[in-house]
Amino acid sequence: MTRALSLRDNATAPAPAEAAPRSSFVPPLVAGLLVAGVLVYIQVADLDAIEARSLAFGELLVRLGEHVRLVIVSTLVVVALGVPLGILLSRPAAGPLQPPVLAVANAGQAIPSIGILVLLALLYDVGFAMAVISLVVYALLPVLRNTMVGLRHVDRSIIDAARGMGMGSRRILFTVELPLAVPVMLAGIRVALILNVGVATLATYTDAGGLGDLIERGIVFYRMPILLSGCLLTIALALLVDWLAGVAETRLRPRGL
Amino acid sequence: MPEQFHPGTGAQSDVEISLREVSKRYPASDADAVRPLSIDIARGEFLVLVGPSGCGKTTTLRMINRLVEPSGGEIWVDGKNTAHVDPDELRRHIGYVIQQVGLLPHLSIGENVGLVPKMLDWSKERIRQRVDELLDLVGLDPDTYRSRYPKQLSGGQQQRVGVARALAADPPVMLMDEPFGAIDPITRGHLQDEFLKLQARIRKTIVFVTHDIDEALRLGDRIAIFDEDARLAQLDTPLAILTSPADEFVRSFIGDGAAIRRLSLLRVGDLPAVPETSTGTGIEVDPGETVSAVLEKILAAGLDSAVVRGRGSLTVQDMLLATAARDESAVAS
Repeated sequence: MTRALSLRDNATAPAPAEAAPRSSFVPPLVAGLLVAGVLVYIQVADLDAIEARSLAFGELLVRLGEHVRLVIVSTLVVVALGVPLGILLSRPAAGPLQPPVLAVANAGQAIPSIGILVLLALLYDVGFAMAVISLVVYALLPVLRNTMVGLRHVDRSIIDAARGMGMGSRRILFTVELPLAVPVMLAGIRVALILNVGVATLATYTDAGGLGDLIERGIVFYRMPILLSGCLLTIALALLVDWLAGVAETRLRPRGL
Repeated sequence: MPEQFHPGTGAQSDVEISLREVSKRYPASDADAVRPLSIDIARGEFLVLVGPSGCGKTTTLRMINRLVEPSGGEIWVDGKNTAHVDPDELRRHIGYVIQQVGLLPHLSIGENVGLVPKMLDWSKERIRQRVDELLDLVGLDPDTYRSRYPKQLSGGQQQRVGVARALAADPPVMLMDEPFGAIDPITRGHLQDEFLKLQARIRKTIVFVTHDIDEALRLGDRIAIFDEDARLAQLDTPLAILTSPADEFVRSFIGDGAAIRRLSLLRVGDLPAVPETSTGTGIEVDPGETVSAVLEKILAAGLDSAVVRGRGSLTVQDMLLATAARDESAVAS
């Protein structure tokens, strides 16, 4: 979960997009096998009433749906916050603001999500929104920082040439800096996405459902089949999401880079 | 030596760029990066700024299109004080070429060349035609290169695109900051030759920065030599600089072999020829050819003299002595 995430700014100029190996088909294959394995196991195993209820196909779909929804919404919010914030902070005028904002984002990631989750539940309420907030706090850093790093690492001579051609700073941002920063930004979004798949398992503690429900129920009722199914399905989802993100990363990278 | 002011080579309208007591001092520094400098650059002139690193040549160049704001003085381009022109607007009408080229890697060659016309709201069709025309002009086949990406091109090809891009909106002025500095010597030689031919056709006003005195001598109509302290040591034609270096710094900056280098700048028409007595003794050459080219031809032909068309004949010895004589007279004066 800590892939490429040191807590210090610029400590990890993320190896530009870790050159996604021509989208290997191994991860989705493994994910498929895991899902198939779980489904087959549920069919053939001798399940008691609690297990059967928790592992009913419809029930699994609901949990999966909740989980995916949490991941998508929180990642969208993270991108909607992190990218503009990263752009603003990388403008020369915002120089002095960089350290404090990065410190806050670092702290957000240093604090365990479960802590925020419980805190929010105690102070405000339980539910989907609280789960999303805690996911966002946790996953903001990679997007924010990669946006800044990506923009900062744009070749100065290209920007110089662009200025020399008479491009204003707004035009340079949109036609030069952002397109060139896209690979690094995508790498950050991918990290956030994967973090969210994992951390969303904790959403069950704020009553927001997700695959974490299965894991928690497995622990509480001491039912290994439920616990195991929850874990394996989460792993399968993470593999699949990471693979999809990798494919998207390759596709969305501007040509010519 | 005080900064020189060369009143334009003619009427005011012939001056394209006028630097008037332009200086630059950075806040953290107690010395001028550029000392008050006044130069008039004529329309169609090729001026080379040359000097060691830190002599202010690049800063001077970048003040012309306001990538660096002068601390003092004024710069006039095409009859307008640049301080009163919107900098982006100013730069769209001044070609700019840098050593690192700075092509946008995510845009095709065609899109790169068409950037400035696009900013100037040219129609798609007009941009397309202009792009092809320019690629042709810099020796790249449009059909082959238009839709390639910069990283698919060699360094020399990229700089051709850089030049094409700078020429895109047909600006009267080109600023070039060591454009051939990062290119291997052989390709650099080709590019310099081609660029001179191109310049003979398009007659832009060019300000060109280099640290390479040979490049300066080869390309410039006039050369401004700066020393490490940002002092303008000499501003003159290549031949005059070789013939009469203003001071010890210029002499050392030119280095050895000034006399030999002069051979490739002097034209045989400039040398006193012996009026022809008997014809047919040597090969015939144009008065406009350089002494070194003629020497080359004579030696290659195994002869010892040439006939300069309409002037008379010159022997190898005449040429060498005449070159040396000019040297002495110049130094003596």
